Amino acid sequence: MRYKEYNINKVLEKCIPVFWEKGFRGCSIQEIVKVTGVNRFSLYHEFQNKEGILYNSLKLYDERYSKQKFDLLKKEGELKNVLQEFYLSFLQNKDEFQGCFYIHIGTELADDDLEIKKLIKTYLSNLELIISERLQKENSTKEDASFYARHLVGLFCTSMSFCLIHSEKEKEKHIANGIQVILNKKINYATSS
Amino acid sequence: MPQVLNQSYNQLVEKAQVLFWTKGYKGVKAQELAEHLDVSTSVIYNKYTKDMLFMDSLDYYTSNYSDPFLKQLRESTEGLDSLKMFFYALIDALLDKTFPKSCLMVNTVVEMRNANQEIIDVYQRYFDTLIKSYKVVLDKAIELGQIKYKEKKDEYAEFLLGVIFSVSILYKIQEKEQLLEFIDEQLSFIE
Repeated sequence: MRYKEYNINKVLEKCIPVFWEKGFRGCSIQEIVKVTGVNRFSLYHEFQNKEGILYNSLKLYDERYSKQKFDLLKKEGELKNVLQEFYLSFLQNKDEFQGCFYIHIGTELADDDLEIKKLIKTYLSNLELIISERLQKENSTKEDASFYARHLVGLFCTSMSFCLIHSEKEKEKHIANGIQVILNKKINYATSS
Repeated sequence: MPQVLNQSYNQLVEKAQVLFWTKGYKGVKAQELAEHLDVSTSVIYNKYTKDMLFMDSLDYYTSNYSDPFLKQLRESTEGLDSLKMFFYALIDALLDKTFPKSCLMVNTVVEMRNANQEIIDVYQRYFDTLIKSYKVVLDKAIELGQIKYKEKKDEYAEFLLGVIFSVSILYKIQEKEQLLEFIDEQLSFIE
């Protein structure tokens, strides 16, 4: 059958920039057909609908792009620097592909689309877990680590939205300031509640 | 022939901003906008364009939602406690859909970024007012003896700028209790 003659990931790879640039509602299936070179019948056969293409693009983005950025959090080095490098790694692309595909799509759709909501939730929980593990390696207790991790995920959300309109310098400053304010808090206050 | 409209331009903006707020700029087609406003598409193409309505929707948002909210914050008297109430009110507005989807300014930042100078000017005005308001509250908090490290005021204000953004994303995936706790903890960083 004709629809088996293409590589699914190659198709999805081409869809990511379209969704990113135009938004899910802003792009039509015709545009996806045009950019992927796969006809509508085959697309629907493979993914059921436009939503299906989007969900699978998000999964591919996670595997292909986010994972290696999340791995930066496992690198040796001073915590502040490791975090700074991690946040900035999402902000180095040119123009419209700056930031995080998940936050971008989540901003547009997570209110109405339960599948997107679930995907974003899993994505951010995963990030929180990785940060928390890193902090535990730095001798934080499990409880303290999860406190900081929660707020470092908050900073991730901020960096992937607010920092999109910042200059290079402003970006670096805002993120460094956020890390500093969060990590400077003495933990005995944090856990007393 | 001139179009006869039985609605004022302000009424059109008021309606348009709800649509942009829920669907974004790129997600709204001229046809849909015309239907939503109950005008013919030629009005959208020739008279009140989508771009024009969008920019004025941002203005409508700041003058009707954020400005009064922030004015109240600047006039508040309880320092960090007032700030907490401000963020709690934001969470309520997000959850009960007084804010139909997130904060329009946050949505626009993510969707449009620095698309043109006009939009950059809107951000500038919005964030200037925001940070100024936070600084007024922090001064009040210092006066009330709620802040130990007064010299960190500017760092705290910059940090607070991020809260609207993180909450605008987190409210979509978290329960109210978690969100309120998140705010309490965020404010605990100001010490």
